[in-house]
Amino acid sequence: MTRSLSAQVGLALITALLLIAIYGPIGVTVAGAFLPMKGGIIQSFTPSLAAFGKLSTDTGLIRSLMMTLAVGAVATVISVMLATALALFSTERGGTHARVVTLIVFLPFVMPPMVTGLSLLIFFRDVGIDRSLLTVTIGHVAIILAIAYRGIAVRLTDLGRSQIEASLDLGASRWQTFHRVILPNITGSLAASALLCFALSFDETLVTLLLTGTESTFPIKLWGMTRLGITPAANAILAILLALTLAGSALAIGLRRRSQP
Amino acid sequence: MTRLTKFARPATSLVIYAVLAALIVVPFLSFLAMSFFSVEGVTINRTPTMGNFIRAFTDPVMMSVFWRTILLCGAIAFVTTLIAYPVAVFINGLQGVARYVLLTATTAPLILSYVMKIYAFRSILGGNGLLNRMLLATGIIDTPSSFFVFNLNAVFLVLAVLLAPFAILPILLSLEKIPAALSEAAADLSASRWTIFRTVTVPLSRPGIATALSFTFIMSIGDFVTPQMVGGPNGFTFGRIIYSQFGLAFNWPFGAALGVLMAAVIVVVLALAMRLGRVPGGASR
Amino acid sequence: MSSKVPSKLLELRSVGKSYGTAQVLKDVDLKIEDGEFLVILGPSGSGKTTILRLIGGFIAPSQGEILLDGAIINDLPINRRPFNTVFQDYALFPHMTVRGNVAYGLSVRGVPKAEIVARSDKVLALVSLGPLADRYPAQLSGGQRQRVALARAIVCEPRLVLLDEPLAALDVNLRRQMQVFLKEIQREIRTTFLFITHDQEEAITLADRICVMDHGKIMQIGAPRDLYDRPGSAHVARFFGDNNLIEGRILSVAGGRATLDTPLGTLVACCDPSSGLADGDSAFLAIRPEKIRILAREDPCPDDAAALGVTITRKEFAGPLTHLSFVPDAAPSILLSAKRLSDEMALLSLGEPGLRACWGISDTWVVRA
Repeated sequence: MTRSLSAQVGLALITALLLIAIYGPIGVTVAGAFLPMKGGIIQSFTPSLAAFGKLSTDTGLIRSLMMTLAVGAVATVISVMLATALALFSTERGGTHARVVTLIVFLPFVMPPMVTGLSLLIFFRDVGIDRSLLTVTIGHVAIILAIAYRGIAVRLTDLGRSQIEASLDLGASRWQTFHRVILPNITGSLAASALLCFALSFDETLVTLLLTGTESTFPIKLWGMTRLGITPAANAILAILLALTLAGSALAIGLRRRSQP
Repeated sequence: MTRLTKFARPATSLVIYAVLAALIVVPFLSFLAMSFFSVEGVTINRTPTMGNFIRAFTDPVMMSVFWRTILLCGAIAFVTTLIAYPVAVFINGLQGVARYVLLTATTAPLILSYVMKIYAFRSILGGNGLLNRMLLATGIIDTPSSFFVFNLNAVFLVLAVLLAPFAILPILLSLEKIPAALSEAAADLSASRWTIFRTVTVPLSRPGIATALSFTFIMSIGDFVTPQMVGGPNGFTFGRIIYSQFGLAFNWPFGAALGVLMAAVIVVVLALAMRLGRVPGGASR
Repeated sequence: MSSKVPSKLLELRSVGKSYGTAQVLKDVDLKIEDGEFLVILGPSGSGKTTILRLIGGFIAPSQGEILLDGAIINDLPINRRPFNTVFQDYALFPHMTVRGNVAYGLSVRGVPKAEIVARSDKVLALVSLGPLADRYPAQLSGGQRQRVALARAIVCEPRLVLLDEPLAALDVNLRRQMQVFLKEIQREIRTTFLFITHDQEEAITLADRICVMDHGKIMQIGAPRDLYDRPGSAHVARFFGDNNLIEGRILSVAGGRATLDTPLGTLVACCDPSSGLADGDSAFLAIRPEKIRILAREDPCPDDAAALGVTITRKEFAGPLTHLSFVPDAAPSILLSAKRLSDEMALLSLGEPGLRACWGISDTWVVRA
């Protein structure tokens, strides 16, 4: 069904407007990395890399980035491993067990991060755990678990129970079955889930704000800076992140095109 | 069902459920419990009371903010979905590289810093910001407008734009699922393009629409950072009030009760979305 | 058939299986003989797949015992039972080559590499898949995948191979080829095969013995010929191929013959002396369509045969055979069928008067109503 030209143009226009709106603040951010800004107003139009230079000296910023990466990595690893165990459990038991597990796993995801964050905050206080990067990490795991779980569970269902049964039927132990049949077939979705989880954890603000102690992650540092003004060094970091994301997407497009004739 | 030795089975169940309980179930229960406690100075009195809920429902300021927030988030959900739908339709009509590029273009911004985007918006929307200066320059307005300066309008705009990609994706997914053969069949039966859109496409994309609406609503109602940054004194939302209970106002039980209220609203929204998202005839997401 | 005394390999004793209130299998007693090709035949829902899954260990019985060589194996887990399964969807490991799939059962048991290669090669040659050994399942056709699944199961030299409707997904010609193939393989490796199907032609072709199931119970077990010529119940009589069942009441039973009072008159038929049929019982007289001859007026009917005046109501040319529907003049409401060679039937026409149906008494069989 072909669309009329006017309809196509109209749709394209709406899309373009939305994209402008979405990329507006991003453009401003990137601009702030290359052009000196004060209070959001561009001072001069001569681009400079001074902001990137400041990046290397701003230890607070660097440290928060390191913390963010650490929290992200740990939360991702825990979530993916936990999600795999949960997905295996659900797929194998099926029925009520699967439903209960799915319900519980998706609860923190469906509720706004605020509710999950507050729940953990209250819980930690009740059991006497102080807020720290540890609590932040646990909070991240609660939020991102559902993502990893969904990805892996779907892949396991596709794989089908009969493969697991076939492996057992041929005499393999449960560990051998996991190791030689299940794992090789889910690496794709494990990797994709891990990537997604890391991305979500990296920018997670709401839960982190509630559970953070003295050390902070990058989003919290930014949050703290919003009062006085975000330093150009932070803009520089975001410009780099944007470049990396674009490069990554381009790579993904390239790989896809190569694998699909 | 596969078979294990009789011992291992209940043991693994126990471990799995224990982990889930500790990570998710117990915290939620403590959250619920807290809403029934009260505060005395700096200590928490653990005798159950309905005081927090009574206060929430009888305090006029609380109620007005509550309903205003629901209205705001409902409006955000509606407008965002309304804009997202044509964009999703547009992307769905593309093929190959163009489709993938546009899809990435719409979703890539999600990866970038949430705080930063709001901060940038704040400067764009400010009295001396990009938006005003553009409007002045093109002669649309004569003096800088304060329409979007530190109020709920600003919150509305920022959240709508920020959440748009979250609305586009589910709608796109449900559009993709509609077999092309259906529009061909409708055309064969002499339906116009607009009729096909109205009677075939839209009804069959209901699950996607329901997801977009509920997702956007839930994410906007739970956001307390955006209102704090661009809302100003006139932009108080329910989320901000809850947050302050755990900060300066230090009334955790009250905050928890408000949180429970918010959770209740979300459950209702989810239930509504499930009903809305049901395509007559049984096909679901 | 072989003259050796069959030894009992596997036995199901009073086995039952229920899911909640639904009883899928009830009081099943089955003895599987070593080296036989046993086919379990039944429609979907008859419980045949459940028996296979119980034996394989994928589910546990709600009642009864499963015995291997006399020992109860109810609690033995899947991976410790000396049986291998050919799954309906083949369940080939997509990330391993054909060779990898076939070798799997041996490699997980720690069989030395050299032996794995030798045994896999032998089995791959047996199923004619040698040249495809390094392909992946996605690159194979349905029939080829089927053979990989079979090879994978038999390379481990199990006591019993369980086949879960393995030919269901293949087209008719390929299915026939595979049936012959399976039968040959089974004879060559002399392993016991337990084959599940709902296709009766397939069952007759493959089986040494057939176990007919319906609604969770075993109706009859026996060699195909026995089930065909001497069914134990009206259900089995109808189940295999077309059959004419004439209702009647038993007047007397003596020496393997029963006399029945039917709407067609008094008829004599063969019966099972030990079946406990008594005077006054309701029963059916079963006579296969291909055993009925339609004769013109002047043609003789042999001794020890029944003859009836009939009229042909329908004649259908079906290639080598012609299918006829006819009604007895004495009871025109009863519709019977006959199948004869088309050449024979060419001269007879619809409605032609004076024709007679004739069948040998020894071709009849009585089943309880």
